[in-house]
Amino acid sequence: MRKTFQKWLFVFIASAFALTFAFSFLIQTRQARDNALTLIRLKIADARRQLTTMEDNLRRVTELTSTMALGKARALARLVELSPAMLSSPDDLESTRLLLDVDELHVSDARGILIASIPRAYEGYDMAGAAQSAAFLPALTDPAFALVQDPQPKGIDHQLFQYAGVARRDAPGIVQIGYHPRRLLEAAKLADIRGIAAGFRIGNHGSIMICRGHEVLSYSWSEFGLSELMAAGLNRPALLRKSSFDVTVGGIDYLGVAQEHHGYRIIGILPKNEMYISRNAVIGVLVVVNVLLFIVVFVLVSILVQRIVIDGIYEVNSSLELITRGDLEVKVDVENSNEFKALSEGINSTVAALKNAIRETAARIDAELKFAQAIQVSGLPDPSPDFPDHPQFSLGAVMHTAREVGGDFYDYQVIDADHVCFLVADVSGKGIPAALFMMTSKTLLHNLAASGLSAAEVFTVGNRQICENNEAGMFVTAWMGILELSSGRLECVNAGHNPPLLKRRQGGYDYLRIRPGLVLGGMNNVNYRSHQIVLTPGDRLVLYTDGVTEAQNSAGQLWGEESLVQALQAITPENAPFSQILAGIKAAIDAFADGAQQADDITMLTLEYHGAAAEAAAEVVLAATVENVQALQEFVGARLAGLNASVKVQNQVQVAAEEIFVNIARYAYAAGAGEATVAFWPEPGPPARVVLQFRDRGVPYNPLARPEPDVTLPAEERPVGGLGIYLVKKSMDAVDYQYLDGQNVLTVSKNL
Amino acid sequence: MNISKELRGAELTVSLAGRLDTTSAPALEHDLKAIDAAVTSLILDFAAVDYVSSAGLRVILAAQKQMGSRHGAMVLRGVPDAVMEVFEMTGFTDILTFV
Repeated sequence: MRKTFQKWLFVFIASAFALTFAFSFLIQTRQARDNALTLIRLKIADARRQLTTMEDNLRRVTELTSTMALGKARALARLVELSPAMLSSPDDLESTRLLLDVDELHVSDARGILIASIPRAYEGYDMAGAAQSAAFLPALTDPAFALVQDPQPKGIDHQLFQYAGVARRDAPGIVQIGYHPRRLLEAAKLADIRGIAAGFRIGNHGSIMICRGHEVLSYSWSEFGLSELMAAGLNRPALLRKSSFDVTVGGIDYLGVAQEHHGYRIIGILPKNEMYISRNAVIGVLVVVNVLLFIVVFVLVSILVQRIVIDGIYEVNSSLELITRGDLEVKVDVENSNEFKALSEGINSTVAALKNAIRETAARIDAELKFAQAIQVSGLPDPSPDFPDHPQFSLGAVMHTAREVGGDFYDYQVIDADHVCFLVADVSGKGIPAALFMMTSKTLLHNLAASGLSAAEVFTVGNRQICENNEAGMFVTAWMGILELSSGRLECVNAGHNPPLLKRRQGGYDYLRIRPGLVLGGMNNVNYRSHQIVLTPGDRLVLYTDGVTEAQNSAGQLWGEESLVQALQAITPENAPFSQILAGIKAAIDAFADGAQQADDITMLTLEYHGAAAEAAAEVVLAATVENVQALQEFVGARLAGLNASVKVQNQVQVAAEEIFVNIARYAYAAGAGEATVAFWPEPGPPARVVLQFRDRGVPYNPLARPEPDVTLPAEERPVGGLGIYLVKKSMDAVDYQYLDGQNVLTVSKNL
Repeated sequence: MNISKELRGAELTVSLAGRLDTTSAPALEHDLKAIDAAVTSLILDFAAVDYVSSAGLRVILAAQKQMGSRHGAMVLRGVPDAVMEVFEMTGFTDILTFV
């Protein structure tokens, strides 16, 4: 935009500049021409004045000369009248000539024949013999005749000579004097227009030329000869018809004016380059000033526009770019003009409206997704189920979706009295499509498993059906096991899923790596093969999805299979009951993630085989009040009664149960508004033992950390109370406190 | 639990039967606090007590202090082994008199 603007600015300013220049040039050219013409005309006027002066002078001198010549002729006529004898005396004639200060004397008879002449050679000449002398013939008949001839070349030697003559007074005839008209010649010389031009210059190289007819009388060029001037046509009378004319002489352009003066033509010319000197100087200055002005205006306008408009637009643009990238918190704040202020406000209100719309839409989508999640979760079985009829195993599961809806799922079902089926699966992709695919897959596999097929058959048939309606190309990884409760035989099959962890009763956790088959939905006609292992009482399986091992912390590190094993090893029956295993893993993952957002669904399922003869754990939920101690005692007493336990052990367990429960009732909740869950289960051992577990959601409190009372003080100094937990610690074989999943979990066990 | 009392002059015999626990301790505590100041000898018959919890211990300790303050004597009679174990665990055997 800046480029475009500058381009157009340049075009406009340059056009204006060119226009100004053109006008100036035209005006200056016309002005220069007018000035030159004025100058030439002034010079011509000067020349005319000089010409007039010279003519006047010449006329006066001529008149004077004529008068004198006529006077001398008349004087001679008088002398001849007075003394006719002198005509025959050459000496007298000579002396008379000297007296009259003339060069020639002539006297004719009545016929016009010279009878006396000085020089004497002219005697006998007939005046009618030549046009010049014939002009005096009228004097023969006219006594008043007088003539002064203009100076003209003599017929004999072509010397310029002037004659004056009158009629004879004594007899008919002509008296004539002749002389060299020196003064007249001098005057004429003064008046010689040939010299006029030399005194005139127009400018440095312009000049004046005077013509009569086609004849050039005077010119003053040193550069050019007459022939060049003639060749240029400067001597043409036609020039008079124009007020001014252009002419080229010797390759140089001239401006000229021709004027008529008393039969002469005065022509003045001036070289055009000279006449344009001032114009060129003005134009030169104008160009420099204009260019400077142009640059200043261009730069100033550029800067101004940059400041006022372009910077603002760039600022708005960069803000818009941020907004486009999704940062709707950006505020456009360009306020250097009202227009930008309006624009900023417009954008801000648009973004605000957009944000609002997004928020509303997001809220609606959130609500819908939460609804979808509720549906999805409701499709999963109870995460901590009781199987009162099947004490041979315990099972727990958990699913933490990364978003509102996820693609993970777990499932289990008791197929018949002797078989339980369980699986964990992970659908490719996320969101609604994955959730829908998950629901379909889960239902399909669940129903197939319910029909009593083997695990391999469930996957083989299930895969085929999933493939049939899988336009979206989704797939699901799954690990499924079917446990035969009476024997501990586990048939398991893996469709591209993470290997579960198996913990044998005596030993740590190890990955149970069976050969995986292709993912479900990947390809039709895959035959899945199952594997058989046998679980012994106390063995435990932990199934999970990759959201567990691939949990990330804020540094992008993965939790990993090794960490999962370590976390599981740290969870022992002593410090956490079966129901807390998965919560323990989740706590370990959370500790690792350290606030980093969960990227993938986390789904886990754990199963422990208690053996064919195992008995179910019993659990009771009691309002945490002292009044319920009796109910607790009845619950514990009933469980103990079925076991082969000594009265002493029974009493110790009873006391421990009472002490712990009373403790919860008194201290866990603010105003008796809580519950305590009491679980009781026997463990076959060895050593055989009974386990009691208390869970409450009261304030986190570890009673085991309380300092032990001093039991050696005299009766008077002993505090009343504080002995309950001490009794528990003393009488039980193992005590453990954990705060898990928002619960105080106190577990005690007593060997039988 | 059942509490029965028998007063012979300055000697009071309180016979207990059942569990001396959180539920029953308050009743015993109430009875023992109400003992006439003239009684100088208190006999607690534990022969029929199944077990004692810390709530019971509290009451017994309070009774011991009460009798001690009036220069009387308190004895526990016929304490079963299981209950005796609790007394031993908590150091009560040092401060109580058993017959």
